[in-house]
Amino acid sequence: VLGFGGEREAVSKAGLTAADLVAARRREPAAVTRVYTAYAPALFRFFMAAVGDRHQAEDLTGTTFVSAIESLPRFRGPIEALGGWLFQIARHDLYDHRRRQSRSRIEPLEDNLNEAARVAGADDPEELALDRVDAGRVVAAMRQLSDDQRQVLLLRMAGGLSAPEVAEVLGKTTGAVKALQHRGLASLARVLGLRSPEQPKEPPYPSPDPGRLTSQEEEER
Amino acid sequence: MPRPKPNKLHDELDALLDGRPVELTDELAPLAEAADALRAELAAYQLDPQVADRHLERVLHGSATVVPLPVRGQPSGWDLRRRVAAVVLAAALVLAPATMASAAALPGQAMYPFKRAIEQLRIASVQWSPGREAVERTRVADTRVDEVQRLTDLEMFTQLPTALTAMTNAMTAARAAVDEARRKGEPVAKVEAQLNGVMVAGAQVTRTVQVVTAAAAAKGPAPLSGDILRAIQTAVDQSKEVLPPVAPPTTGATTPTSTIEQPAKAPGSTVGTTKTSPTIPLPPPTAEATTTTTEPPTTTTPTTTTTPPTSDDEATPGSNGGGGSGGDDNKGPNDRSPLEVTPSTTPPGP
Repeated sequence: VLGFGGEREAVSKAGLTAADLVAARRREPAAVTRVYTAYAPALFRFFMAAVGDRHQAEDLTGTTFVSAIESLPRFRGPIEALGGWLFQIARHDLYDHRRRQSRSRIEPLEDNLNEAARVAGADDPEELALDRVDAGRVVAAMRQLSDDQRQVLLLRMAGGLSAPEVAEVLGKTTGAVKALQHRGLASLARVLGLRSPEQPKEPPYPSPDPGRLTSQEEEER
Repeated sequence: MPRPKPNKLHDELDALLDGRPVELTDELAPLAEAADALRAELAAYQLDPQVADRHLERVLHGSATVVPLPVRGQPSGWDLRRRVAAVVLAAALVLAPATMASAAALPGQAMYPFKRAIEQLRIASVQWSPGREAVERTRVADTRVDEVQRLTDLEMFTQLPTALTAMTNAMTAARAAVDEARRKGEPVAKVEAQLNGVMVAGAQVTRTVQVVTAAAAAKGPAPLSGDILRAIQTAVDQSKEVLPPVAPPTTGATTPTSTIEQPAKAPGSTVGTTKTSPTIPLPPPTAEATTTTTEPPTTTTPTTTTTPPTSDDEATPGSNGGGGSGGDDNKGPNDRSPLEVTPSTTPPGP
């Protein structure tokens, strides 16, 4: 949502200004509403893609927003950094949510989820949750990605953060984030059956078949 | 042709995702396509405006809660209605000062959640009578029209998509309530005439929104972003499915009140067609896999996504939908008084 080093320094792409930030710190309703309107949709998309459940995503969005507004007096960054800061809170809340879920999960259900995840080819039930997202195949296909790739793509595409902002949120370099988003999208393209630059459709020569080579070698012998 | 270095490819992909112009090479094309597909799916996740109201309430008015209403069509019975009535009476005592204070609140303002909550209470209090519910929901629809009008006057464009959709949903809910009252054998001639007048007013104010936003867009990108324009256009298009057609205004008739003050006509009596109405000039669509650039991810995230998608509770009478006049008007839908329009540059009070 926000970009660093833009020409209009005091105005975010979401239309928020430094004055909005000051007013929101004082919990002035109009400013708080503007902050919510600017970021809540992105937060909701982020949580929806992460947990795959509308009700939980709504709760997480509300929780994150309330936490953010309560913590806003401690936020000392420029308005351009507000998006990244919000998603740091969002990731923290998501982590807490998953931890609570894992604690409250009763044993038989956990067994069932683990079994379901195993059958579905997912490493854990959280990945399986991605399969159950209402929207369908693309978000579900993200479970094929590594955790880092998935987080980068979610923050970038669902959260609308720039690569430097994602790097700030994840504690990585911008270069690492760019590499992760490249690999993530390449993997996603492969899973979706799109033509991938790393896997050309027609190999330039017949693929070596170890079995055939072995038999050829035996024939040569 | 030498393959570009990985860093260059990463940079080009990053630029593509940011919407900066990049030559779409064979290597980038599938990545852009995957990004577009992902972005399109993510865009389908829309935050329910009722949920948004609740979130804002938690921050702005921690103690204000919306009373859930029984859903019409499910077996409710007198016991439930008595319980709801008791809650309404109790809440009315608590909320009376808020009722007065929130009467003129607009979407985005501090007291607006109170206004909607009070509307729900009012609807809950009359659900024992389909006829009275129809009257109340018609009043709600009238209030939504009034809000769209005032938001347009104040050029609060970011709130318009939500307000327009809420208006459309309120119209739908009121129409359904009138139909149900008729099915129950209650006299509906008067309320139906009132609703028809409200719907004509809604069509006129929607037309005004188009004119005003088109004029604002023509001034430049400063007051209106492309996403807000798109959201407004979408909401306007949705409203046309419900509202009667309205004649295009005469040239220069951009004063919103000039249309709304006209005597209401029955939907069938209006002339003109929406085909001639100008559409809001929109920037190019957000994502096109075949173009050489891809819109930045920010284009799917802005304020417009709070535009209510399909599920406003007001869409079904008797559901949790907020609506109602909030005590701000005792006037009927047909005796709409001229709006007290403040200068358009005056920001709304909190």
